[in-house]
Amino acid sequence: MFRSDDLPPVNFHWALVWENRWALVRGLEVSIQVSIVALVTSVAIGLFLAISRMSSFKPASMFAASYVNIFRGIPALVSVIWVYFGWSLLFGYNFTVFQAGVIALTLLYSAFFSEIFRAALQAIPKGQREAGLALGMSRARVFTSLILPQATKIAIPNIGSMYIGMVKDTSTFAIIGLVEVVRVTQNLNATNFQPFVLYSAAAVLYVCIAFAVDLIFRGIEKNFQYPPTGRISRFLTKGKNQKVAVLIAKFS
Amino acid sequence: MSAKSSSVGSEVLVELRGIHKTFGTVEVLHGIDLQVHKGNHVVIFGPSGSGKSTVLRSMNLLEEPDSGSVKVLGVEYGPGVKGEKQVPRGKAIELRRNVGMVFQQFNLFPHLSALDNIAVSLRKIKGTSVKDSQERAAIELKKVGLLKWAANFPGQLSGGQQQRVAIARALSMDPKVMLFDEPTSALDPELVGEVLAVMRDLAETGMTMVVVTHEMNFAREVGDLNVFMEAGNIVATGGRDFYDNVTNARAQQFIGSVL
Repeated sequence: MFRSDDLPPVNFHWALVWENRWALVRGLEVSIQVSIVALVTSVAIGLFLAISRMSSFKPASMFAASYVNIFRGIPALVSVIWVYFGWSLLFGYNFTVFQAGVIALTLLYSAFFSEIFRAALQAIPKGQREAGLALGMSRARVFTSLILPQATKIAIPNIGSMYIGMVKDTSTFAIIGLVEVVRVTQNLNATNFQPFVLYSAAAVLYVCIAFAVDLIFRGIEKNFQYPPTGRISRFLTKGKNQKVAVLIAKFS
Repeated sequence: MSAKSSSVGSEVLVELRGIHKTFGTVEVLHGIDLQVHKGNHVVIFGPSGSGKSTVLRSMNLLEEPDSGSVKVLGVEYGPGVKGEKQVPRGKAIELRRNVGMVFQQFNLFPHLSALDNIAVSLRKIKGTSVKDSQERAAIELKKVGLLKWAANFPGQLSGGQQQRVAIARALSMDPKVMLFDEPTSALDPELVGEVLAVMRDLAETGMTMVVVTHEMNFAREVGDLNVFMEAGNIVATGGRDFYDNVTNARAQQFIGSVL
């Protein structure tokens, strides 16, 4: 029968985590930097793809649809290897690991954001568009002043959970040598051989980031409520409300 | 059958001629002719699906007719009547800046306060300054009795209040003609009165109005030209005495069932 004392004794050196805390934190910084830059680029490209996909101009909508269906299906690991090594082999241009990470994430997540924006844009009642047009707005104005602000509100919670996915996907960039959380963990493990301890620490860091991102996006959501309930927008609209009060007093 | 306002001689602001419109394979308008004279109040009524909203929506080209002439303030906008010589067409955006519209579902912008629904629209459409647009918005809100609610968002207003803001918003653009597409149909019965009161006031100022409505008492009060539609045709029209002297059997039956 199997008995636990047949195994060699296991020692968990939890102190390792504390000793190497700054290395891990720096790894986390890199993960966040890469994912934030990629968030900005993929939201912008995703919005552009969503608009293209909804356009009545067939080549544009077909391009956007194919892009989404292809890049949604590629794993981050494959994407970053392709960008980092493939681009170098094909075109002789070498991205830095940071650039390769940003590009790899952007390629994938712009596809996801495109779908998020498409759903949000389509959720706006057509009466909004009609009301804008009936008042005499141009189509472009209807989009920028009416449809997009309302769609952004709908998209924000989904953008938040996608961003958590982006942070997690930076872990695969260890393979190209980006010194993010997992790469730091791998390096520490190579010298200490404490995989359980070190990878548990890495897991805790990712979970902490997920909580923080959730908190931040909830805050952002509040500022997009009608009327806004978030601190930032309350601060911003304070002066505005006072002006309205003055206006009411003046005309009543 | 064509419909002309009673006050012959006064300027025609809106003229529809031979409007045909098809949705999918169903022709919903079979050639509508309608004239709206300056200062007149035209009421369009009839059973649902009769095409009354489509007629109204073709007046500001929210519904582009398949054929027919939409002439507003002397400018030709429609695709033109088949067989007639083509004339230069105006742009829809210019038409809409002269024609206000109020919707059944209010269609206020939910992300803007009541004041900004008007002020931001003025800024984006007419390029009015922040100060002027806000003052104009306050004046328009006061006219519909909602100045106190200026900072409220549409979600914080009742249906009747929202519709009054929507009317104020349309009026802030200084339209020459106002279109009302069943403005009270989405309201609780107790809120209908406040919206009709605003419309009555507006009618008294001499605003040219085209109203699609089921409120026959209101129609009886303000209707200078009353148009009964059924199955994509205008089947009966009449002036101020229309509701007492209607001869068309279907119109009689419809009025009887609504009143």
